[in-house]
Amino acid sequence: MSHSMSLSELQALNQRYQAFTELSNDFTCLQDLSNRTHFSAKDNLCALGFQARAGSKILEGYRPPFDATAVRRMKEEGAILIGKTNMDEFGFGTFSTNSAYGIPRNPFDESRSCGGSSGGAAAAACLLPGHVSLGVSTGGSISCPACFCGVIGLTPTYGRVSRYGLIDYANSLDKIGLLVREAASLQRWLPVISGRDSNDPTSCAQPPLTLSGRGIESVAIPREALNHLDPDVHRTFNKALASLIGEHGIRIEEVSMPSLRYALSAYYVLATSEASTNLARYCGMRFGVRNPDITKHFNEFFAETRSAYFGTEAKRRILLGTYARMVGFRERYYMKALAVRQLIISEYQRIFHDFDAVLTPTMPFLAPKLDDVKKMRPLEVYQADFLTVPPNLAGLPHISLPCGYIQSLPVGMQLVAPHWEERVLLDAARKWTSTFTLKFPEVSF
Amino acid sequence: MGREGVARCGKKMDFHLHFKIPGGELLRIGLEVHVQLPTRSKLFCPCPTNALEPNSSICPTCLGFPGSRPVLNRKALEMAVSIARFLQCRISPQVWFSRKTYFYPDLPKHFQITQYDSPIGTDGLFPVEGKNIGIWRVHLEEDPGRIKRVGKAGEEVSLIDYNRSGIPLVEIVTAPDLSSPDEARRFLAELMVELKHMIGTSGDDEQSIRADANISVGEERVEIKNIQGLRNLERALRFEAGRQQKLLEAGMKVMRETRRYDEERKVTVSAREKEFEEDYGYIGEPDLGVYDLTSLLNALPEVETPLRRAQRISTVYMVDYDKARQMVLTSMALADLFEEMAKRVHPEMAMNWTLGPISNSWPQILPRINEQVTRDIMETVKLVADRSITDSEGRRRIAAIAAGECPEDISCAIQDEVLESFISDYLDKHPQIIKDYSSNPKAANAVIGHVMKLAKGKYSSQEIVDAVVKEINKRKG
Repeated sequence: MSHSMSLSELQALNQRYQAFTELSNDFTCLQDLSNRTHFSAKDNLCALGFQARAGSKILEGYRPPFDATAVRRMKEEGAILIGKTNMDEFGFGTFSTNSAYGIPRNPFDESRSCGGSSGGAAAAACLLPGHVSLGVSTGGSISCPACFCGVIGLTPTYGRVSRYGLIDYANSLDKIGLLVREAASLQRWLPVISGRDSNDPTSCAQPPLTLSGRGIESVAIPREALNHLDPDVHRTFNKALASLIGEHGIRIEEVSMPSLRYALSAYYVLATSEASTNLARYCGMRFGVRNPDITKHFNEFFAETRSAYFGTEAKRRILLGTYARMVGFRERYYMKALAVRQLIISEYQRIFHDFDAVLTPTMPFLAPKLDDVKKMRPLEVYQADFLTVPPNLAGLPHISLPCGYIQSLPVGMQLVAPHWEERVLLDAARKWTSTFTLKFPEVSF
Repeated sequence: MGREGVARCGKKMDFHLHFKIPGGELLRIGLEVHVQLPTRSKLFCPCPTNALEPNSSICPTCLGFPGSRPVLNRKALEMAVSIARFLQCRISPQVWFSRKTYFYPDLPKHFQITQYDSPIGTDGLFPVEGKNIGIWRVHLEEDPGRIKRVGKAGEEVSLIDYNRSGIPLVEIVTAPDLSSPDEARRFLAELMVELKHMIGTSGDDEQSIRADANISVGEERVEIKNIQGLRNLERALRFEAGRQQKLLEAGMKVMRETRRYDEERKVTVSAREKEFEEDYGYIGEPDLGVYDLTSLLNALPEVETPLRRAQRISTVYMVDYDKARQMVLTSMALADLFEEMAKRVHPEMAMNWTLGPISNSWPQILPRINEQVTRDIMETVKLVADRSITDSEGRRRIAAIAAGECPEDISCAIQDEVLESFISDYLDKHPQIIKDYSSNPKAANAVIGHVMKLAKGKYSSQEIVDAVVKEINKRKG
């Protein structure tokens, strides 16, 4: 593995790991890029010259007429887009097994999941040194695959990075972030993709990004977050804590966050409610696949296209979301979830009064085998997100850092900072990786 | 109902001004009025609003392409706030938008961005001829596209034009306070007069107004969807009131349903029988934030609309409202002139001159109105008021001003001589008149008529009568 990987080698590598759904042909070898950074965009980010299918069959053949703002800003800074990365359909999933374009494989163990939904992005970051992956998180879709693939995953504050050109899952939760091998890459590229964008009103109210200033000194650990952990993960996490206290002199205290146990329910209600409205436009009429029989009544025409081309998980979330916002249920689910969200935000704020960040493991277990994923029921899958959902629901910036290895599989820890305080996370990543060496697997074509 | 029934029904309605029903209930009408805001660009994207060629003014945002986002048009928000304030609504300090979901080919995202639990204004009112019509809410929303069916029956295709997709609309929802189709039409007509002046909505009322009407004669109400223009509104309501009344008189029930107005046949027809109320599954629009209207409200200038102004003028100057109304509807500049004049002469006189000679020459005066012209007009009326010049002299001067001539150039003396010479010439030729006049004063009418013809309206009839009587008396000696 080196920078000098040729395009054909990259293609061969991708055959094996399925990190990319589409690769650019505009370069012969990654070495050609010399001083330019190569980057990839998750398939739900629009980029000229590539399809944007968001992992879904229903968008087969769709070529957007514009670049997502984050993609455009990367290009303008000289980075070269080498491909689109694989993902769960529209971001719906925790293991990247819901893609219509193959399942990305974990570079640490091909029989295991990369995590999701930005599984391809994490795999690409892990496989290619110096690579910058643009990922997207709604409920943990950057943290989770970063953890399983042993890379650093940064999810900025909601609104920090413009969502213009991002194919929506849940607009009030979606955030574009970075998956990289080195903390220095965050320092370099976060300012590039950040900033106001008149094309996205929710990006316009942000204070400027500052990367210097006071670093991380204290963290809180919610005790509710430590239930249901795999014992190996728990042990590894505790070892990391010891190192944080001992080597880095960080003050660590356990706190209580009772609202955490409502976070998952609130998240799935809000996310699916918004998703079900976003997915309404995919009906085979204006872009993506088209049912050739246009003589039918529009209702039938739409229904047939949607039945044929949406995946099972997409259908499940459309039904769930539609249900939660119907008359009679709206108050009971949608409105209540909004209230829970406020509660969680204020609980975080209470903690941030005394601490620089909140710390938990990222995922409660190691990257699962794809065979085991198949056996999981939807609810079990949803519950896997219980540590990554709360900061996403609150729109707080967070980072997943590798913090240990069990049988050569990475374990991750997740730090959550106050709104707009990305610098706390970048400081923590820099400090942590100055003493902790990230391991990457030997990969072959 | 057949055509015959329609005709009969239409006639019958003319005798029922208040639609009193045997049960003693009254006709109740509520309107949901859609007004297109005259912005240059669409509500959520920079596409122009005035495109002609189908699908020539579209972009990823108004076509709902994945990854596109709405960006609110400030001007549209300002206009909507102005309207809500004008309708004396309670204005929410903070507003947001909602997604209203339904599937229809003309709606690109399959949800419409509108305002559901956060309208801009609520609980307002709009007076129509002294009666306050309640306004339930005022909110802002985007228009969908437009479907056109083409081709002969059996081979029709649907063409969709998305130029309208994203056109800003304000929806004004009234309480069911309107009690006749005529009142509904007047409500809408007056509202449009005000909005036209306030925000510059299109003058072509028949095109730019769309309304849904809820109408009940008995207990059950019927909704008539998407009526275009004032005339159709009144016709549709008239027809529907008659239809419901006949049903009730025949001991039948009115069914709760949605109907539409067939402009060709001039009847309302059942649009669809709803098995269930459509559930729009409203959620907040997460791509648009919460808008604080406080500073906007403070910054927006309050515009005095024509009918408000007529109301104020009639109160302040104690003049007849209808006259004031006629004046402002002619032109707001005419009302400016009136208010200027009413400071110098009696308001009654100012009103008569404004609505009389000035209004008559208004098409000529308006294009050249400036300080000098205003001063000349003021001076003229003031001279009449002071009896320095006669009425007719005043009129001549106004006509001169309208023609762009200098009013003083037309000398009073010369004109009087002309009048006298007309009379003298005629009496010289018809001496019999003077003899007859003693026994029958009507004999003078021949002279008066003749002179009036010659004078071509330059003198008032009273002036002519006075001059003729004076000349006859002189000759009688």
